[in-house]
Amino acid sequence: MESNVDTQQQISETLLLPQEVLLSAGVHIGTRVKTKDMEPFIYKVRPDGLYVLDMEKMNDRIKIASKFLSRMNLSKVVVASSKRYGRSPVEMFCKVIGCKPMTGRFTSGTFTNPAYSDFFEPTAVIVTDSLADDQIVEEASQCGVPVIALASTDNSKMNADLIIPMNNKGRRALAIAFWLIAKEILKEKNELPANGEMRYSIDDFETNG
Amino acid sequence: MSTCISCGRKVTPEEKAVKMTCPNCGGITIWRCEKCRLFGRTYRCPACGFTGP
Ligand SMILES: [Zn+2]
Ligand SMILES: [Zn+2]
Repeated sequence: MESNVDTQQQISETLLLPQEVLLSAGVHIGTRVKTKDMEPFIYKVRPDGLYVLDMEKMNDRIKIASKFLSRMNLSKVVVASSKRYGRSPVEMFCKVIGCKPMTGRFTSGTFTNPAYSDFFEPTAVIVTDSLADDQIVEEASQCGVPVIALASTDNSKMNADLIIPMNNKGRRALAIAFWLIAKEILKEKNELPANGEMRYSIDDFETNG
Repeated sequence: MSTCISCGRKVTPEEKAVKMTCPNCGGITIWRCEKCRLFGRTYRCPACGFTGP
């Protein structure tokens, strides 16, 4: 009998979403590039050469990132995505949680030049991809601000203080990531019961078109 | 004076170090020096055992 190799991974029952939902969104799918930094988070390589991330580790890191964020002044947390598919998830996340979104192109000096009109001093920064959002990671590091980074198999740990290993390129995967973190933060802050659901769905978080 | 959790070196005020609480337990203040942060060196929380980044 043929079996889906991706589902053979030993998954605990503590996943934040049913395994089928996570698998169908490809949250665990990486790229054909594997960095040494991301090796501890990689589960296996598929026959087609795609590296697959460890879903349990992803799950654990989403929980830890949510705990970390829930202890902060969220209005001073910047959430960035220069990529198109990250835009809607980031904006919805910020709307629900009260963080500051920075989507599209990042203007250099935003964190480092007090003379700049949009100057902002964050207490932490979340980036969807440290490669694409390299400028914001660099400025956050210059300011000594903790960086939480969604990272796929091709990312590095450079200047990141907390890695969330997952597919950071897929439209659905990014929606699920930010939806889950938002939900976990609300639970940590007791603004949502342990088994409660948010007013917003994953679809609400997903970039259309 | 603060020391880097990964290399044990003293963190100077001029360098681009980061100060944060342990992401997992929040019980410990963690300093990562500029180099350890840049190279993504592992840190371990002495209170809960969490290993990052
Ligand atoms: Zn160090
Ligand atoms: Zn800890």
